[in-house]
Amino acid sequence: MRLLVIEDDSLIARSLEQALTPLGNTVDVFTHHAQAREALQSGHFDLVLLDLGLPDGNGLTLLAELRQRGDTTPVLILTARDGIDARVEGLDLGADDYLAKPFSLAELEARVRALLRRSQQRADNRLTFGPLAFDATSGVATLNETVLDLPRRELRLLESLLLHAGSITPRETLENRLFGFGDVGSNALEVYISRLRKRLDGSGLRIRTFRGMGYRLEDAAP
Amino acid sequence: MIQVEGSLKARLAVWLVVTVSALGVLLLVEAYFSSQRAAERAYDSQLEAAALTIAEAVQWEAGQPVVEIPSAALQILATRHQERVFYAVLDAEGDTISGNLDMAIPPRWRHQVATQPAWFNETYRGTPWRLYGRELDSAGWETQDPVQIWVGHTMSGRDALTEALFEQAVTRFVIMVLVAGILMLLAMRVALAPMRRLRHQLRQRDADDMRPLEARVPEEMREMAETLDSLFTRQRESRDALLRFTADASHQLKTPLAGLQTTSELALKSENPEAWRQALADVHGSAGRTSRLAGQLLSLARLRHAEEQGTATRLDAVSLLRETAFDWAQRDAAQGHDIGLAALPEAPQYICGEAWALQELLGNLIDNALRYTPPGSVITLGAVCHAQTLEWYVEDDGPGVSAEVMARLHRPFERGGRQDTEGSGLGLAIVDSIVRRHEARMQVESAEKGGLRIRLLFPCLTRHEEG
Repeated sequence: MRLLVIEDDSLIARSLEQALTPLGNTVDVFTHHAQAREALQSGHFDLVLLDLGLPDGNGLTLLAELRQRGDTTPVLILTARDGIDARVEGLDLGADDYLAKPFSLAELEARVRALLRRSQQRADNRLTFGPLAFDATSGVATLNETVLDLPRRELRLLESLLLHAGSITPRETLENRLFGFGDVGSNALEVYISRLRKRLDGSGLRIRTFRGMGYRLEDAAP
Repeated sequence: MIQVEGSLKARLAVWLVVTVSALGVLLLVEAYFSSQRAAERAYDSQLEAAALTIAEAVQWEAGQPVVEIPSAALQILATRHQERVFYAVLDAEGDTISGNLDMAIPPRWRHQVATQPAWFNETYRGTPWRLYGRELDSAGWETQDPVQIWVGHTMSGRDALTEALFEQAVTRFVIMVLVAGILMLLAMRVALAPMRRLRHQLRQRDADDMRPLEARVPEEMREMAETLDSLFTRQRESRDALLRFTADASHQLKTPLAGLQTTSELALKSENPEAWRQALADVHGSAGRTSRLAGQLLSLARLRHAEEQGTATRLDAVSLLRETAFDWAQRDAAQGHDIGLAALPEAPQYICGEAWALQELLGNLIDNALRYTPPGSVITLGAVCHAQTLEWYVEDDGPGVSAEVMARLHRPFERGGRQDTEGSGLGLAIVDSIVRRHEARMQVESAEKGGLRIRLLFPCLTRHEEG
């Protein structure tokens, strides 16, 4: 993947480059608005990490220009401004995610991965997370390239979790997807979740429960 | 914003002009009539004198009155003005004995004059004139037939005198008004002097001078001066609080920065990779804490600043709580704890507030719970509807705090008596000021499972307000 980092603080720019390159990315770093604009016009990137406070202009202008051109490259905004207003403005202008400084590199990596995955999924209509994949057109789920033979409701559950992979899928969303809007027993969902958990045993993935909120498909490692 | 609405001087002047004009009209009318009366009295006595002089000249010859009009009598009546003078001496039957009056005296007048002398106004041939008639008693003579003497003249002398008198009155009045106006201007200057002095004093003050005012003011300005004084007092207090806070804050920031400096300095001197590693870990941790502290200080500053603006809107407290819980549950810092939501009300519950401040509020409570409880602790967020209020709560099953510490938890830089954790003690101070901004109440109590339970009670919007 080819990443564009627009960040004027050299210490942060260097850490970003060092953190993202080992993940299999090519990282181009620019410290100025003007250079970054040229690079964006001439080349294709899979993700843009954009610092809002640049010495020669506001990053939001750059973002607005990008979207006006019809360029849908995912943009992750990095900023020291953590006001809700700035955040809303950025997302309104078409940013895909927003990270306030200071941030931990682990969090940055997770967000970058999620954004890249989402843009990949948009491209080939497949939901993937680690070894797990779901083809929305054929309705077939695979784990490590092996087809998972799942009943209808478990398949739907897997699809919903994959759609939100890496973040919490609200409990209500899952219940609606599985059982429609009718009343269901409080632990009906839990039954399907535990079935799916058994399937994923040993795959390096797990489904974590967030009490009262929902479930998250995540790497088992941490 | 200051809007200038006319001037005090103009207002006083308008009142004065209105009053003086009204009084002036009355005074002038009165002056005119009194001038007229004075002129009348003067000329009437002339008529009377002329009539008496004529009366003295009346003689009886063979029982018949004979009169030779003395020139003195007519001289009395002759004025500077081109006045026409009339006289007539009538016998008892009303026939003219002598005279130049070609008007017949009506019998009614004659009867009136028979009892006592009288004055009459009459218009004759288009000219107004004044007549005086009196009866001469012929006491001591044989015949008792009375004789009537009538004297009259036109009015121009009277009118001229009235005019002259009135002119004098008007001149006196105008001079009085002018003198009063000048005196009034002087009086206004004197009366407004305390205001000028106060203005001057305020202008001379330094921008940061918040001492109480020292000024002599009249009773009417006492309230304004006291208001100014209390404004200064409040500003002084808020500035002092800000200075205290800044001092505290810099102290708080200096401590971790000093730690960073010494740790990195020691690591640079060391040759041992193990020591470098340890130092880096320390630096990393300390940098994180310093960042958080800076963020909290910024929040407090922003809260103080935003206090003047107030951008509260109607928002759903349940979904805000849910979103904030989702956000925090997925953060790196929360991975060691079990953050969860209790069952929430199904319907939206509206309160009036600022979303960013409320998120900040919940964030600080969750952050506190994460920091002051051991890993693995259960932290639960919930919302409960009461009759008039909506309750948010954040509870944990950590060690809790003692009752006396609970009372001072909300003060800045108070860490519940704990020096072992990494907190700054700012979290609850931020929470406290957000709570007060939203007219909410915060209750800190022990949770059932032994930890801390913080309840926030917000006033619900009524149906009416929702509309």
